[in-house]
Amino acid sequence: MSKPFFTVYCLIIYAFLLTPIAVVVIASFNAGAFLTFPPQGLSFRWYVVFFNNEVFMRAIRTSLWIAAVTMVISGIIGTTAAIFYVQYSGRLKEAVRIAMLAPLLLPEVLTAIALLFFVYSIGIGTQTMFGMIIGHVLITLPFVFINVSASMESYDPSWSMAAQSLGAGRFTRFRRIMLPLIKPGVIGGCLFAFIISFDIFTISFMLKNVGTSTLPIQLFDYLRTNFTPEAAAVSTCSIVLTLIVVVISEKMLGLRLHRF
Amino acid sequence: MTEVSIEKLTKDYGQGPAVNGISIRIAEGEFISLLGPSGCGKTTTLKMIAGFEDATEGAIRFDGRDVVHVPVEKRDIGMVFQNYALFPHMTVEKNLAFGLEMRKISKAEIRERITKVLDMVQLAGYAERYPRQLSGGQQQRVALARALVIEPKILLLDEPLANLDAKLREEMRVFIRDLQRRVGITTVYVTHDQAEAMTMSDRVVVMFGGRIAQIGTPSDIYERPSNLEVAEFVGQVNIIRGKVGSGTISTPFGNLPAAGAYADGTEIMLALRPEAVELLPVNSGTSGVPAKVRSSYYSGSLVDYRLDLADGATVNVQTFPRTRFADGDEVLIHAPVDRFWPLGPIRGTEA
Amino acid sequence: MNVAAKKRFGPLLLIAPAAILIGVFLVLPYLNIVVMSFRMPGQGTPYGPGFTLVNYGKFFSDIFYIQQVANTLWIGFVTTLACLILGYPVAWQLARGNSAFRAMGYGLVLSPLLVGIVIRSYGWTILLGNNGLINRTLMGWGIIDGPLPLMYNALGIVIALVHVFLPFMILPIMSAIQGIDPSLEAAARSLGASKATAFRRITLPLSLPGIQAGSILVFVLSLSAYVTPSLIGGLRVKTMAVTVVDALIDTFQWPFGSALALMLSVTGAIVVVVFGRLTVMKWKA
Repeated sequence: MSKPFFTVYCLIIYAFLLTPIAVVVIASFNAGAFLTFPPQGLSFRWYVVFFNNEVFMRAIRTSLWIAAVTMVISGIIGTTAAIFYVQYSGRLKEAVRIAMLAPLLLPEVLTAIALLFFVYSIGIGTQTMFGMIIGHVLITLPFVFINVSASMESYDPSWSMAAQSLGAGRFTRFRRIMLPLIKPGVIGGCLFAFIISFDIFTISFMLKNVGTSTLPIQLFDYLRTNFTPEAAAVSTCSIVLTLIVVVISEKMLGLRLHRF
Repeated sequence: MTEVSIEKLTKDYGQGPAVNGISIRIAEGEFISLLGPSGCGKTTTLKMIAGFEDATEGAIRFDGRDVVHVPVEKRDIGMVFQNYALFPHMTVEKNLAFGLEMRKISKAEIRERITKVLDMVQLAGYAERYPRQLSGGQQQRVALARALVIEPKILLLDEPLANLDAKLREEMRVFIRDLQRRVGITTVYVTHDQAEAMTMSDRVVVMFGGRIAQIGTPSDIYERPSNLEVAEFVGQVNIIRGKVGSGTISTPFGNLPAAGAYADGTEIMLALRPEAVELLPVNSGTSGVPAKVRSSYYSGSLVDYRLDLADGATVNVQTFPRTRFADGDEVLIHAPVDRFWPLGPIRGTEA
Repeated sequence: MNVAAKKRFGPLLLIAPAAILIGVFLVLPYLNIVVMSFRMPGQGTPYGPGFTLVNYGKFFSDIFYIQQVANTLWIGFVTTLACLILGYPVAWQLARGNSAFRAMGYGLVLSPLLVGIVIRSYGWTILLGNNGLINRTLMGWGIIDGPLPLMYNALGIVIALVHVFLPFMILPIMSAIQGIDPSLEAAARSLGASKATAFRRITLPLSLPGIQAGSILVFVLSLSAYVTPSLIGGLRVKTMAVTVVDALIDTFQWPFGSALALMLSVTGAIVVVVFGRLTVMKWKA
C-alpha cells in the first residue's frame, strides 16, 4: 500500500469510529420534533426538555451516586489487591492476575445473569442496590487493579524499607511514601472505575432494584419507544460528563508528573 | 556509640541455612565490613541486624540488649541502600527531615540539624532539589546524610558504592571513611569488593556459604589469610607447593623455616602475593629462581608478568615498571622468605 | 499476634477483600448457573423444586433455538473477520507510523470506549434507520428510490458491533506489532525481500498472537452483546444473548435461560478452542 492511500484508509476508520458519536451530539441540537438528519435548525429545546424531565434527572443522580460508591469500593479493594499482587504474591502472581482480570474477560451478560440468580439464591434479591453495586464493583475492579499495579511495578520496595529504617511504622510508610508514589495509578484507576460504572448497562439492567433506574437503563427504555432528539441531549450530557472526568484526571496526573 | 554483638546468628529460608551460626563482636565506633561473593549471606546478615529479616536462631545485641524482636522502625539504625532509596517525591530537605519527624523532633531543631548535616556531606544549597535532579554521587551523599541525621545507634551500608563509576567510587570510599571517623559511629558495611573493604574498614569479616571464613584487620586478611578461599578472594595469589621435612619446607624457591604443626612428609600450599616478588636480570649476581617471561601486561603503575618456572609451574608477578623485561627473557625471581604464608595441607597428603 | 505471624499473614489482609469478592460473587454465581440449568421450571416462581434435564431437552428439540445459536455464531464470526480486516492496518500504523499521527490515532481509537454502549448503539440507529442519515442522504442524491434495509437485520447488527468492538481488535494487534523488533523486517529487506514480502513473511506471522487475542476477544464480546443487537435488531432479529436476557427478565424462565446461556457459552468456547488450535504458534511454545 502506498503511503497516502494508507493514511487515508486510517482516517476513514477513525471517522467510522467517531461518526455515530458525533451524529448523536449534532442531533441533540435539532430544533425539530423528530430525529431527522440534517437537523431542522439549531436549538437547545431538547436540553430544556431533558432538564425538566424528572425521570432522566433522577436517573443521572442515581448513576452518579452508584458510580461514586463503586469508585470508592473498587478503588480500595483494587488498590490493596494490586499492592499484594506486586509485592507479596510470589509464586501466586499469575493466578492472582487471572483472578483479578476475570470479571473483564468473562462476558458481562453472563456475569449479570450469574449474579442475578445468586443474589436471589442467598436471599438478598434485588430489593436493595446491593447486587447492582457488587456487579459494578466486579466490572470496574480490573481497571483499578491494572492501573495501580502498573504504578506499583515502578515502586521500589526499598523506599518502604528506607522509611522503616528511619523509624516509620506500617501506616506512616503507606501514607507518606507508598500512597503518594502510586497516586497516579490510584487516581487513574478510580476515575476509570467511575466512568465505566457510569456507563454499565447489562449488569444494571439485570440487577436493578424496583423503582431504581440508571441513566443507561433509562435511555435504553426510552429508545425502545421514542424517537425524539431528547435522547440525544441526554447522551450528549453523558458524554460531556465523561469528558470532564477525563480532563480533570489529565490535569491532576499531568500536574503530578511535572514534579518529579 | 553502641557496641554490637552478634551471637550464633542463623537464617534458614527452608533450603539450608543462608547464614549459619555466625558470631561477631563489633566495638563502639568500629567500622566493620562484611565481605564475600554474592550469596555468601552478608546481605542477609545486614538485614537481620537492621530487622528486615527475622533471625531463625541466635541473638543480636545493641549494647547488651537483644533486639531480635524489636521491629526495624524501633531499632534506631541508619541505613544506606544500594540504590539509595531516596524518596522521589520529596526534596532533599524533606528526605532528611523524614526520620527526624518520625522521632517527633521540633521543627526548629530539624532545620538546624539538616543545615549541619548538609554541610557535613558538602551539599549545602541542595536542600530544595528533588533526588532526580542530583548526580549519582550527590544522591549517595544525601542517602548518607539521611541515615546520619537521625543520629542512629549504628550505621548500616548495603553495597552503597556499587552503582557509581570507578573514579567516584574511590572518592566516596575516602569520604565515607573520613565521615565515619569524625562522627565515630559504629558501622557495618556490606560489599563484595575486597579493595573497598580493605581501604575502609577497621576489621573485615570474610564470609563464604553463610559462614565466617576469617575476621581480622585488612592486613591480617591480605597477608595472613586463613585458607585458600580467603587468599584467592581478597586479591591475586600464587599458590606454591611445599613439602614439610625435618623443620623446613622445601619449595621451588628454596627451603623455608617450617611454620605451623605439620607432620614430616605433608605437602602444603603456600600463598605468595604477586607484588611480594622481585624480578632480577639473570646476570645481576644475586640468588634467585630462574624463570622465563611468557607474557607481560603493562598497566601504568604496574607491570603484570606471567612467568614459567623450570618445573613447568606458572607464577604471576607484579612489579614497578622500572626495569622492563620482554617476552621470552630469562629472569631471576627473588621472593623474601617471610612473604610465604602457609594455607594448610594439600588434601590427601597428610602423613 | 507475634511479629513473625504478623509478617506472614499481614499481606494476606490486602488481598482478602478482593479474594472474597471474586470468590463469593463471581466464582460461586457462575457455578450456580450450571446448577440452575438443571432445575425444574417454576410455576409463577423463577424455578421449581428438584432437578431435571428438561431445559436441555427443550433446547435440542426446537430448531428455532439451534438456528438462533447458529445465527449468533455467524454474526460473531462476520463481526470478528470485519474487525480484523478493518483494524489491522490501523493497528500497524499506531505501532509503526510517525509519532504525531500515532498519539492522535491512539486517542481516537480509545475514546469511543469511554462513551456508553447504549449511546453508541443509539448513534447507529440514527444513521441506519429507514429515515436515518444514510438512507436520506442516498435518496436525496437520487441514488436510491426507497430506503435500504440497514436496520432490524443482521447487517445492521454487524455494522454496529464492528464499530463497538473494533478498538478491542486494534489494541492487542498494536501491542503485538510494537513488540516486534523492526530490525527483523530490515534484515528481511537486506536479504532481498520486497517491502510487501517482508511484511507477509515476517511482521504478519509475528503479529499472530495479537490477531489471536483480538479475534477471541471480539468474538466472545459479539456473542454476548446485548444492547447493540437489541436496539439495532429490534424485535425482528434476535441474537441468542437477547433471547436469553428476555427469557430471564420478561418471562422469568431461569432454568431454561441458564441452559440457553450455557449452550451458547459451550458452543462459543468450542469455536474459540478450535480457532486456538488452528492458529497454534509452534515457535512460541
